[in-house]
Amino acid sequence: MEENSQGKRVDRRVFLHTGVQLAFVAGLGGLTVLVARRAGGEGYVWQLDPAKCTQCGRCATSCVKTPSAVKCVHVYAMCGYCDLCGGYFVPDTKILDTAAEHQLCPTKAIKRTFIEDPFFQYTIDEDLCIGCGKCVKGCHAFGNGSLQLQVRQNLCDNCNECAVARNCPSGAYTRVPADKPYLLNEPGTGNGPPQKTEV
Amino acid sequence: MMENNSSTEQTVRLLKRVATLSGIVALILSVMIGINYIQIKRVDPLNTHAIIILQEQLKSSPGDKVLQQELRELDLLARKAFFISRWQIRTGGYILLISLLIVIICIKWIEWIQPKIPPRPKQARDRFWEFRQTNQRWIIYTGIFLVLGSLALAFLTYKEIGKTLQEQTDSKELSGRTPGSADQKNPTGDRLNSDPSNSDQPLDELNSSLTISSDSTSVQQPFPVNSILQDTGKSNAIPPGQSYPSRTEILSNSATFRGPDGDGVVSGKNFPVNWNGITGENILWKAQFRLPGYNSPIVWNDRVFLSGASSTKREVYCFDATTGGFLWLTDVSAVPGTPTTVPTVDRETGMAASTLTTDGQRVYAIFATGDLVALDMDGKLVWAKNLGLPKNHYGHASSLIMYRDLVIVQWDQSQGASVKAFNGETGELVWNTPRDVRVSWSSPLLVNTGKRLELILVADPCVAAYHPATGKELWKIDCIFGEIGASAAYANGMLFATNEYAKTVAIRLGDTPQIPWETTDYMSDIPSPVANDKYLFLVTSYGVIVCYDAKTGKEYWIKELENNTYASPVLVDDRVYLMDKTGVMHIFKADKVFTSVSEPVLGEGSVCTPAFAGGKIYIRGDQNLYCIGK
Amino acid sequence: MILLILFSWQLTSAFAIQRFPKPEFESGYITPETLLPTPRANVLEVMDVAIFLIAMLLVTWAVLNRRSRKLVFWISIFSLAYFGFYREGCVCSIGAIQNVTLALFSGSYAIPWTVLVFFMAPLLFTLAFGRTFCAGVCPFGALQDLIAWFPRKIGPKLNAILGIIPYIYLALAVLYSATETDFIICRYDPFVGIFRINATFSMFLFGGGLLLSGIFIARPYCRFLCPYSVLLNWISRFSRYHLTITPSVCVQCRLCEDACPYEAIEKPVTVKNPKSRRTIVRTFMLIMLLIPFFVLLGGWTGSRLHETLAMVNGKVRMANELVNPETINGEPESIEMTAFKASGKPVSTLYEEASGILHQFYIGGWIVGGFIGLIIGGFLASRLVTRYRTDFEPNRGTCLSCARCTDYCPIKS
Repeated sequence: MEENSQGKRVDRRVFLHTGVQLAFVAGLGGLTVLVARRAGGEGYVWQLDPAKCTQCGRCATSCVKTPSAVKCVHVYAMCGYCDLCGGYFVPDTKILDTAAEHQLCPTKAIKRTFIEDPFFQYTIDEDLCIGCGKCVKGCHAFGNGSLQLQVRQNLCDNCNECAVARNCPSGAYTRVPADKPYLLNEPGTGNGPPQKTEV
Repeated sequence: MMENNSSTEQTVRLLKRVATLSGIVALILSVMIGINYIQIKRVDPLNTHAIIILQEQLKSSPGDKVLQQELRELDLLARKAFFISRWQIRTGGYILLISLLIVIICIKWIEWIQPKIPPRPKQARDRFWEFRQTNQRWIIYTGIFLVLGSLALAFLTYKEIGKTLQEQTDSKELSGRTPGSADQKNPTGDRLNSDPSNSDQPLDELNSSLTISSDSTSVQQPFPVNSILQDTGKSNAIPPGQSYPSRTEILSNSATFRGPDGDGVVSGKNFPVNWNGITGENILWKAQFRLPGYNSPIVWNDRVFLSGASSTKREVYCFDATTGGFLWLTDVSAVPGTPTTVPTVDRETGMAASTLTTDGQRVYAIFATGDLVALDMDGKLVWAKNLGLPKNHYGHASSLIMYRDLVIVQWDQSQGASVKAFNGETGELVWNTPRDVRVSWSSPLLVNTGKRLELILVADPCVAAYHPATGKELWKIDCIFGEIGASAAYANGMLFATNEYAKTVAIRLGDTPQIPWETTDYMSDIPSPVANDKYLFLVTSYGVIVCYDAKTGKEYWIKELENNTYASPVLVDDRVYLMDKTGVMHIFKADKVFTSVSEPVLGEGSVCTPAFAGGKIYIRGDQNLYCIGK
Repeated sequence: MILLILFSWQLTSAFAIQRFPKPEFESGYITPETLLPTPRANVLEVMDVAIFLIAMLLVTWAVLNRRSRKLVFWISIFSLAYFGFYREGCVCSIGAIQNVTLALFSGSYAIPWTVLVFFMAPLLFTLAFGRTFCAGVCPFGALQDLIAWFPRKIGPKLNAILGIIPYIYLALAVLYSATETDFIICRYDPFVGIFRINATFSMFLFGGGLLLSGIFIARPYCRFLCPYSVLLNWISRFSRYHLTITPSVCVQCRLCEDACPYEAIEKPVTVKNPKSRRTIVRTFMLIMLLIPFFVLLGGWTGSRLHETLAMVNGKVRMANELVNPETINGEPESIEMTAFKASGKPVSTLYEEASGILHQFYIGGWIVGGFIGLIIGGFLASRLVTRYRTDFEPNRGTCLSCARCTDYCPIKS
């Protein structure tokens, strides 16, 4: 009698367990289906839209990496090769030479090379660049805006939640498809990833 | 067996030592990294204050080799500090990780060669149920704590934002629906009262939030607060058809930006040349205002007017010219048709850059939102209208000017630029002339060529003149370009316009205006030039004063100031008054050689052009309004 | 209308206007290419998933079939090296909760397949085999497991208090990702900084502190913080094949009694509840009746707190700054505010959005609070029900399947 009731209790428990297991399977399956309908094949990476960027300087400080994975990128095709470069020189510079006191970049990461009179090429040394965006601001204010901040995808850890995106005051950061990982402003394309330029 | 045991023990002892040692290394390292991190965070070598100071110094004395050298060395040092510290932290991190790894390996190793023998279980009393009860009790405590904690937090932080936001959205919708066209039919402003949506709330807000020290003695005193919403239609009481002020009246006051005619020339003598805002010497009074703005004060008889604005509020202030007492403040934020969009303005332009104007009966003000308002001399709203959100990327900055009873607005924007004249009494649009120009920040001036009055406007690409009564374009010369902020200067038939990166150009007025000379040596992007019949005085925003021969363009002298100058120079009698950004007034002779008269200090920064009237100078500093006199 | 569109198009493209035309070089200078390094190849992501699944299979096999702590340990070391230090802890299954939630609630977010697998696979494995994921695949667990040197029992009081945290954490994480506000699990992730050897100071402090406490309280993150553990715990209770301490019959040697550093071994319950059956049943009924009240109380409390919770949201914060300027009294305008003003977006739109978000938080506050009320009620009720057992058994909910106890069991087959 006693054993019988024990056995029944065990049976009942096994039955209950199986029921709950099935419920879980159904639940998880349902959730998977629901989410899978929203799933996209390709992965995403973080990128900032230079058109929205206000060069607040947080890219340098907010990134979980030190130095930041955001760097200044030079779109040569847009550059005016100015002698008086708003991205290279501090405002009101009268003598245009490479003296430290005239350079805007805090780490002197921009190299100025003479091409031909009166044009100069500006090259970013990404090992030195901290992504503060000072030169970008200068270039936007006085020049063509060929210096732009971008997340360097080889440096970015692609965090699930980008700390810079969270702190970006102008909401310039978005997830972009991993096969089009840059949002540079380029001449002719207005605003779009450079991969589109071949059109 | 024994040997085996002792060798194991030896290994364990060795491992323990290694573990302890690496543990100590790890501890020291982590402390060092921490200190390094905090140091670098505090010093921030890339934004060192010392470098910034040196840079400023160097700017004021370029070519100082010692200073240059010092700056370069410091800069190199700072960068070195930054990169070395970064390297240190990173390398330290790796070593720390390795030393921790050693500790972990040692401990695991010990565990393996000397496995822990489970202790003989003690026959303790089974306290299963006791534990359960304690556990249960503490769950209840935690729950209670959570509820009380949350409620306390909610109580402390709850502000009913949701409700406020809802209300704001609703009221915005309401005010957005009131059509601007109704404005023109009945522009006296009393229709504002019929708008039920904004009846009491903003007024309460005003009354509750007003604290401002108002007069020279800084004693808090009550003053009447006018709100356009309080307007009871008394504004109709102004007798219609009254004439405009006489020329003498205009000249004895300062009703416009840069003097009576807007050309930076002030008639009259006996203005002080010495004062000191810090010691109070020659400071008659000093008053505070609430909202910021870069407009200059205007003066009419015994009253001084200025405006201020934030992104959400716009106000006009009136002070007693003799005592500095605060007479009234009128909140003009709720002009019908005001865009819900806060316009994009540059920090150096602000929401209230345009200087007011007055005809002695009403005060007119325009804001970066495109709101144009007219108040009577007691601050009651007469009319108000919105001209549309200015398509202006730095913010609307052009000041108003009066021609007889017309309020003239230079409405240069990136699309659909025009110049407009409104009837001062009714607000009716009298004439509107479209202009084919780009956006500008300069202000209009009225010049008397001897033959006629011309309204002169400068904007990319031209200097243009209009008939002030009809708005008909009289002439225009394409001679200037860029983002023009400086207004023109005029003296003795010669007009001068300038813009940085473009040129400085002289125009001889006449039936067919001509350009006798131009130069690209010095140009100005902010301060407007000023001229008399012999000389043109041009001031750049980086603080260089240049004196040219007005007729030939010959450069007489250059004077470099230590500081930037945003305010425009004013020619008073034979002297030029020029305020620099730090609040030092540079007074010098309007002459062929530079002769400084004095350099009185205000005690606070100023970017506004001073107003001169009745032997007194009115200066808007960053914080206070000053009246200077003997 | 067309005019309007044209105009707005001009506005956006105005950004790229060239003030200075590109020079025509005479010296034969060729414009250099702008280098654009590509992100990690997608193939590698697929490889991650494959390795993830293989690791999970392996560890399950090691736990259930081999019953070998050593094997589990080495697999966990591999996982720590690969998913922790090589992949730098992102994306992990714990964080994937937020991606799944976001995918459910946001119309625009398309969750990558890999993330979905990272979220689902451990749950399904747990349903079948218990929390083997925690034992050897999760790099967080592996890291903490390494330093659980002197585990102490923490007692019923702390257990009660700390045990509620993961539920709150989970509820908030879901709330914040559903409202598209923030990924708080990632934001307060204690160990990624260590995996990257690169993080903010506060992150290091949190992670370091947690690891230090982990020497004495084994796996503190897993037991008292991890929001994913809530799901694993629930599912694991009903797992089909869970690890047992002994492979056959328990001989009551009690050697395993203190073997588990996570206090997940249930001792035999031989003593009867001192309270009478009637009292227990009555209390149980009372609690069951009270649960709706708990839920309501919790929900109401949560709804009261919704504004505070919503302050994490940037838009709400900004709207608050605008309507309640006294909150930022005296401080300079925030960069956000400047950027917002510069964007030219109408304030009314912001207000509308913010009030919408606030409403979401109001509902969310009810749900989060109600959920926590339910959990507390459930805890209370479950503390009254006990199966009398005679053997030492792992608690299926909290057991991390680390296979330590099997080493202590004298019976090997």
